[in-house]
Amino acid sequence: MENKNSGKEYWKSLREYYDPEELKKIKHDEFLEGAIDFVDLESMPPISRRKFLALLSASSAFAFAACTNYKDKGEIVPYNRQPEEIILGKANYYASTLNCCSRNCSVLIKTREGRPIKIDGNPEHPVSQGKVCVRGQASILNLYDPDRLGEPLQKLSEKVFSSVSWKSAEDQIKKSLNEAVKNGKEIAIISRKINSATALQVLSEFVETYPTAKLYFYDVLTNKNQFYAWKECYNLDSVPSVKLEQAKVILAIESDFLNSDGDFVNQTIRYAKTRNVDDLKNFSRLYVLEGNLTLTGANADYRIKLRSDFIREFLFGLINEINKRVKKQLTIPYNLSQLIAQVDLNVVVKKFNLDEKVIKTLVEDLIRNRGRSVVLAGNRLSKEENILILLINEILDATNLYDFSQSLISLSPENDLNDFQELITKIKKGNVEVLINFDANPVYDLSNLDFKEALKKVNLTVTLSELKTETASLSDFILPIHNPLESWNDFQTYLNVINLQQPVINPLYNTRQKESIILTFVYNEPYHEKMYHKKLKSRWEKEVYPKIKPAVDFESFWYASLHDGFVNLTNNQNIRPTFTLKNFKGSTKTYSDRILLGIHSGAYTFDGRFANNGWLYELPHPITKIVWDNYATVSPAFAKRHNIENGDVIEITNGKVKSQLPVFIQAGVCDNAIFLELGFGHSECGEIGRGVGVNVNKFLNLSSSSRFFDYVSFVNTGKKYNLVTAQEHHALDDTFVKDFHRKRKIIQEGTLEEYEKNKNFIQAERKELLSIVEEVEYKGVKWAMAIDMNKCTGCNVCVVSCIAENNIPMVGKDQVEKGREMHWMRIDTYFSGTPEDVLVSNQPMLCQHCDNAPCENVCPVSATNHSSDGLNQMAYNRCVGTRYCANNCPYKVRRFNFFDFRSEFANDYQYREPLNFLNNPEVTVRSRGVMEKCTFCIQRIMEARQETIEKGIEFDGSGVMTACQQACPSSAIVFGNMNDPKSEIARLRKHDLAYYVLEETNVKPNVSYITRLRNINSEGV
Amino acid sequence: MRVIDYTIEPPVVEGNPSLSSINESIIKPLESKPTRGWYIAISISLTMLLIGAISLGVTLWKGVGVWGVNQPVGWGFDIVNFVFWVGIGHAGTLISAILFLLRQRWRTSIARFAEAMTIFAVMCAGLFPLIHTGRPWLDGYLLPYPNQHALWVNFTSPLLWDVFAVSTYFTVSLVFWYIGLIPDLATLRDRTTNKILKTIYSILSLGWRHSGRHWQHYEMAYLILAGFATPLVLSVHTIVSFDFAVSIMPGWHTTIFPPYFVAGAVFSGFAMVQNVLIIIRKVFRIEHIITLDTLEKMNKVMLATGMMVGYAYAMEFFIAWYSGNPIEQFVFLNRALGPYAWAYWTMVTCNVLFPQLFWFRKFRRSIPVMFIVAVFVNVGMWFERFVIVVTTLSRDYLPSSWGMYIPSIYDIGILIGSFGLFFTLIFLFIRTLPVVSIAEVKAVLNSSQPSHGGNH
Repeated sequence: MENKNSGKEYWKSLREYYDPEELKKIKHDEFLEGAIDFVDLESMPPISRRKFLALLSASSAFAFAACTNYKDKGEIVPYNRQPEEIILGKANYYASTLNCCSRNCSVLIKTREGRPIKIDGNPEHPVSQGKVCVRGQASILNLYDPDRLGEPLQKLSEKVFSSVSWKSAEDQIKKSLNEAVKNGKEIAIISRKINSATALQVLSEFVETYPTAKLYFYDVLTNKNQFYAWKECYNLDSVPSVKLEQAKVILAIESDFLNSDGDFVNQTIRYAKTRNVDDLKNFSRLYVLEGNLTLTGANADYRIKLRSDFIREFLFGLINEINKRVKKQLTIPYNLSQLIAQVDLNVVVKKFNLDEKVIKTLVEDLIRNRGRSVVLAGNRLSKEENILILLINEILDATNLYDFSQSLISLSPENDLNDFQELITKIKKGNVEVLINFDANPVYDLSNLDFKEALKKVNLTVTLSELKTETASLSDFILPIHNPLESWNDFQTYLNVINLQQPVINPLYNTRQKESIILTFVYNEPYHEKMYHKKLKSRWEKEVYPKIKPAVDFESFWYASLHDGFVNLTNNQNIRPTFTLKNFKGSTKTYSDRILLGIHSGAYTFDGRFANNGWLYELPHPITKIVWDNYATVSPAFAKRHNIENGDVIEITNGKVKSQLPVFIQAGVCDNAIFLELGFGHSECGEIGRGVGVNVNKFLNLSSSSRFFDYVSFVNTGKKYNLVTAQEHHALDDTFVKDFHRKRKIIQEGTLEEYEKNKNFIQAERKELLSIVEEVEYKGVKWAMAIDMNKCTGCNVCVVSCIAENNIPMVGKDQVEKGREMHWMRIDTYFSGTPEDVLVSNQPMLCQHCDNAPCENVCPVSATNHSSDGLNQMAYNRCVGTRYCANNCPYKVRRFNFFDFRSEFANDYQYREPLNFLNNPEVTVRSRGVMEKCTFCIQRIMEARQETIEKGIEFDGSGVMTACQQACPSSAIVFGNMNDPKSEIARLRKHDLAYYVLEETNVKPNVSYITRLRNINSEGV
Repeated sequence: MRVIDYTIEPPVVEGNPSLSSINESIIKPLESKPTRGWYIAISISLTMLLIGAISLGVTLWKGVGVWGVNQPVGWGFDIVNFVFWVGIGHAGTLISAILFLLRQRWRTSIARFAEAMTIFAVMCAGLFPLIHTGRPWLDGYLLPYPNQHALWVNFTSPLLWDVFAVSTYFTVSLVFWYIGLIPDLATLRDRTTNKILKTIYSILSLGWRHSGRHWQHYEMAYLILAGFATPLVLSVHTIVSFDFAVSIMPGWHTTIFPPYFVAGAVFSGFAMVQNVLIIIRKVFRIEHIITLDTLEKMNKVMLATGMMVGYAYAMEFFIAWYSGNPIEQFVFLNRALGPYAWAYWTMVTCNVLFPQLFWFRKFRRSIPVMFIVAVFVNVGMWFERFVIVVTTLSRDYLPSSWGMYIPSIYDIGILIGSFGLFFTLIFLFIRTLPVVSIAEVKAVLNSSQPSHGGNH
């Protein structure tokens, strides 16, 4: 455009031709001039022309409305001035970043007519690669949560709040802040870990302005022990990712890296690459050493059950054994080498009754695959255990597998729990005048400390929060803040990339960006929506832009970065650090006779920050399938010994801390231990989360090096509690129904060896099926799906993605108990083996879109029928609800609207505004009395087809992705046109390992499963 | 030991009542004021009906979710009750049509009542398919009517066959019953002095004058209708059984279902007719018309059909084993040993064990024994449908989606309501129409037979 005479440049208008500079300026503004003017009412004169006209028309409209029987017919009115970016019926995608946990994943947000409706990972991002976790998928629900706070609230008296204007709240808070500074009293700001340099800058500016202010950061599910370990061993402030995709042998120690252990997306993507049945040479072997049974344990080739506090001793033994044979020279402190030398692995194996064969194979494997074997440490392990694992990796040359370019960093400082204890002491002494909870909920999160009482001693407590949390309801002011989807920010969790967060919708309520609220106190000027945006932009101009040195000007760089959602930083950390451990704190004592308490991240509820998100509560737990509750997990042997049964309420005691929880007996859990999950038991948050489960944060250990383990005692209270599972469990020793999943060939598994020897071992078992009728031939496109059970970990992301895509309602605990959950897709979990040594098989189950669908011929009104491209369709309008189709479905994947579940559950919660915005407009919201089921995301198929029609090309079925497929972090789901010989699905249908569930019923399902190969030795187990 | 002379047919009506006394004893309840007992009886049945109506009202307001149905058990009491009531409705047409064609004269005294019961039972049955749907206001979609959407029903679905089978059965039964009523309505017309009743009876009796020509036409029409109704007796329950047999669910998908269902239907229908008649004949003092001999014959039919049903139970197990299909085998083992074993064994005890008492003449002719056995048969037959519908669905192919069915109070309320409807209709019937066919009974009196003074 610089050269006007160049014939190559195109122009749309004469104005553009003659004055490109001005236009460039216009383009550089985020929104077109005039597009957002109406938002900014405050900066306008009291009565603008617009407002005058608005008032005039409104008053005349009111006058007319008063004279007629006016009723909102709910008609859809088109824009009278269509926004430039929006084409009706077409989705817009914006890159942004979430704050689901301290990983801050980069995402791509799908919006329709200005409303965000679906969140998926950012496909271009080096870490997310288009995937997010369960919480990322579900976080769209938080935006539209009807229980979100919409107005600032001031406490009048205990539990009584009244709404207050921002101005008055600000004034009162400012007064207290100034007083605190004057009196030399502390202003405490409590926040969760923040990985945003800009936000941290804002907070430090606050501290500069108010010198008595102090910042406190916490992260309940901290991974700081890993950072400590890396600092001590390698003098590094970052923790590299592990190139699992290159690993041959993986030993995960107390690490649920495939679900709840931090880097879920990154590690699942990498791990799945090692489970490729077409690349047997690089097929990995996964050993998992753990106490509780986690999803990672369920995916293990060899699972070694060991109580979590014995791990250190095992590690000493393992290092001893390995180094005896590898004989690597190490610079380690003397006391450590002594400790290692003292422990003989064989003794450890005997002492803890481990399987000798498995341990032997493990040691062999680790050594034989040196350079391609790696040990993963769980987040919850202590610093010392982390150091020992780093040491093993050093011996095994696993350092090759460290991905230093993708190192985790921790921008945010993180305080020790003891710092918070000190803060409470200070508060109790009256030394703290103002307490600001910066989107933090210490009353709940740190309920092992006495914040609840302490808050009463603070003169002024201010809580910035989206929801009325436990802390908020004890505060003097609750300032409502933007949802991440309404906010600006930047985050850096990895050394090599900074993510940008941009708003994708105008604020739904009278909320403010939390950083801007702080800025109003710093700058002492009235709030402005763009305050933080400006700050962010200027920081980027000053700090990020010069670092990257792109070839374009800052504005172009900024918009390009916003478009991408992230920027890559040039990586200058290629030097491999050397292992130098200076000192090692000695061994801690373990008590095998005492009961160990292990605390885990909630499988889906995480640390409980998604307090009011019903999707997460209703998602069946990956192992126990329990919904809407947490519980105390114990082993069958433990239960038998203490005479407790499922649902018995026990009281767990640890010193002064007591709590009552129902028991769930889970096979495969180590003996003499109780495991709890975080993220439940909110007393305040909203309609959905209140009173769901029990808050177990109070058991977090303050004194030990890992806050997640402790010794406790318990008593059986004799009370009973009703735990609800989404899947009936059948006792492993009940011979009547034992191993049906194998006998009925629902789950088919083999070993790698078996497959290498005989590629045909699955196909040989298949029998030819006779049909007495002529089969329909499908010419053209025919849809099919294949699910690779080697890659599928059972993480449930597909399920939540399906919920969000297909407007699936929540039904609540009582309805799940009755067997009426509405999820179109589910992960079936089957157990085999013995209660002590359990084998877990997961299987995603969804409508199989059978060619001979048994549901279709029994529907009296043809409401379910077959499309010419092989889909089993549902015509909701036609359905009368005889439920015959569901009865006749051998896979039981049909879901019936027994009620209008949206009104039946939680006092009409799902009918409250603005939850109606959440719905995908391309998918019908089903009414009461209608059958529904997976449609293979027909709306996406139709969209793709429409595009080809527009372009006038033949539709070959490429480029269609179902929501589950798109979300699957391990890319286990493949969908496409099986009649296209070039397609991946066509190849997988003919794969040696492909099988169909219940094939002998001759329903001819169109979902094939790739047999899971367990990588175990024949001489092993 | 009493010697029975099988060459002589025992008299259908005991004693030798005069023609006018027959009129008197049958029509008496219609012409007298209702007794206190009748009022108590109908208030109980109306209360039951009201319970059903309230339960149904709640169901229609909130959705079928108030029932115990779920995934995987999509059908519960709704379909159990439907099949149960259709079964009850079977005895009527069998007695009036098939036994008529087979010239079983003992049927005469019970045919009218059995037919009425058929109609009422089919009314109760017909209710359930209508209300069991998720959106009952759209039940009309099940009818093949021409419409602009060019939407047509699915003729491969057994549920649609049900619609035709049950409605045809109901229509034919109703017409058959009405034709049989015409001579009696004329008798009533001739007796009554009440003007309103006379008008009603006059219209309903279609100008019947007991002329020979009328009788000739009547006999012909009745015979034709009997011939017409006969295949329906077999077809209705056959088609109801297709609801299950056409599916692919293990335990449903069996070819034995049609005969097994028909036998079971006759079995339960006879039990119900016998139960109600025992009370009627006692209350109305018509023991000489509905004789113990007739009841004994009914018990024999029950013994026979009960044995057929028992055979079917055994054969299901045999075929499951013989088929070599482990899923099918499990379904039957699960019936006998699984969580619903109590229902299965209730069924077997009631349907197979208790009727064995009828091998003994003493029990066959003992009113209390036969009454109790027939009650058990009805309970057992209800449980048979429960076992078929619920246990199969609760544990089918994928163990991951197994689930238990627990009926709610609304399920039970509607079941009670269906009995309320049935008995209310019966109580109204016995006050408004002759419970025994007057004309036919007169024809089977000993005195109306050609007699040679005891010499053949």
